[in-house]
Amino acid sequence: MIRAQSIAAFLLAVIGPTLLFWMVIHQVSGLWLDVALRPEVRQALQQSMEDQKRLRSMDAAHRDAYRKRFETTGTLLHRLDVIRMNRAQMLQRFEITVVAIFALVAIVVAASVTMRARRARALEQKQYLDRVSVLQENARRHAHETKGPLTAARLELERAGDALRGGATDDVANALQSVADEIDRLSRLTRNQASFAAIGRPVLREVSLRTAVEEFCATFADAWPNVTLRCSGGDATVCADRDMLRQVLVNLCTNSALAMEGERASRPPTGGGQDARSPHGTITFAISKRAIDVTDTGGGIAESLRARVFDPYVTTRRTGEGMGLGLAISRKIMLDHGGDLQLASTSNVGTTFRVLFGDKECS
Amino acid sequence: MAALIRVAAVALVLLPAIAAAEPRPTFIAQAGRVVAAALPAAVLAEKDVERQLRSGLTATFVLVARQRDSDAKGAARIEIRFDLWDEVWIVRRIEFDGREDRQRIATRELLEKWWSAPLRLFAAAADRVALNVTLTVLPFSAAEGEDARQWISKSGGVAQTEGGSPLVAALIGTTLSAKPIRSYRWQTELVFR
Repeated sequence: MIRAQSIAAFLLAVIGPTLLFWMVIHQVSGLWLDVALRPEVRQALQQSMEDQKRLRSMDAAHRDAYRKRFETTGTLLHRLDVIRMNRAQMLQRFEITVVAIFALVAIVVAASVTMRARRARALEQKQYLDRVSVLQENARRHAHETKGPLTAARLELERAGDALRGGATDDVANALQSVADEIDRLSRLTRNQASFAAIGRPVLREVSLRTAVEEFCATFADAWPNVTLRCSGGDATVCADRDMLRQVLVNLCTNSALAMEGERASRPPTGGGQDARSPHGTITFAISKRAIDVTDTGGGIAESLRARVFDPYVTTRRTGEGMGLGLAISRKIMLDHGGDLQLASTSNVGTTFRVLFGDKECS
Repeated sequence: MAALIRVAAVALVLLPAIAAAEPRPTFIAQAGRVVAAALPAAVLAEKDVERQLRSGLTATFVLVARQRDSDAKGAARIEIRFDLWDEVWIVRRIEFDGREDRQRIATRELLEKWWSAPLRLFAAAADRVALNVTLTVLPFSAAEGEDARQWISKSGGVAQTEGGSPLVAALIGTTLSAKPIRSYRWQTELVFR
């Protein structure tokens, strides 16, 4: 579907201007020829020849000169007659040649633009992967370096708790609990960092997108209470890592569910404590040839965020609620598949992410 | 539907009349199993042909005879140009065996007489021959077409280079050709005694 769309867009980019050019050429191409072929020109030449013939009897001394002029004019007249008889073919040939040259140039330009766009996309993907790779390495080191001290701090805290058991004041007990909570939070962050650092290479197997999505919808039907999952479209078989694909869909749904929940919470109640406009969000999975379009019914992504939406650590959530790694991980996974994850569209009635699969062969 | 049937019936009735109106040459079996054709003057009187004859360009009449049951064929050609200065007909005929005849003819009557003289166009291999004969009328000669092509090609280039502008030649020049203004098709069977 995507490739067919690209081909259609390419053809449209060539055929449209070519047709327009042909229409213009068709209107104007005959003008230059018709000027020479106007009946007045022919009449004037014939009149001139008649005049030369008349002059020969009036001025016999210059008969040869008149004949020469007569023949010159006659030759011109005959050439115009030959051209007149071939007018349609000449114009047709002219139009075909000029339009063919135009179409050729249009094809070269369109191909060059397409190639440049493809190269730019490939470069952007490579740069993205390089950037993510650096961040993954940092996350791995950070997680590694943090894990040890955190474990030690947790043990020390447990020892301190044991030592103070029964003799601690409420203030001290509260302080210890607070420290324990912070250690838990740091541990969660470290786990997130570690999982970001540990994105593996996909093991590609044949996957029916329809089956994968239907299984996902069945398994995660109750995972996000404010969201209904819907599957639509046809089926396609691609080479993908089923578990990683599931992770991508989970990340997308989590983001959508949290965004829709956030929007609902931020809306003023309309009465009866219920949000009358949208008590429930929907996430739809539309399957096409090499893609799944994941569309939510949320309020869209802010303009300022759209360009950076796949950058690691970019998030709209409050501190402590998320690190902004979900989309980065998901895109990295899909790029490793030879595909991509794109923000296809976003507006105040919903957002669509396109999960694109590449043409890598199965393992 | 009824109207369509009526039109078809009228066409069927008129068809023989239309066919009869088509000028037809007299085919003559000559000595040495040679087939000659005496062309009807009505061909010269056809509106398109008549106009072309008066243009000063060389009207070319190409006769091709093909034997129906073999690949054998013969051809002859007639060229007629009206000299606008001297007001005479400059004519030339080339028969199937290359025999050529050139003349200057002063009047239309003489032209028609010359035109109707038997033109040898085919040599048969047997005593009986069945032929498909076509006559194609071309409005100008190859030389006149080439002259116009050269002229328009040179006119198209800013620089008056030898042979003209290649671009103009490519765009237009090669399309100049003499399209038939009229063509006739006849069938005949002759027996040589």
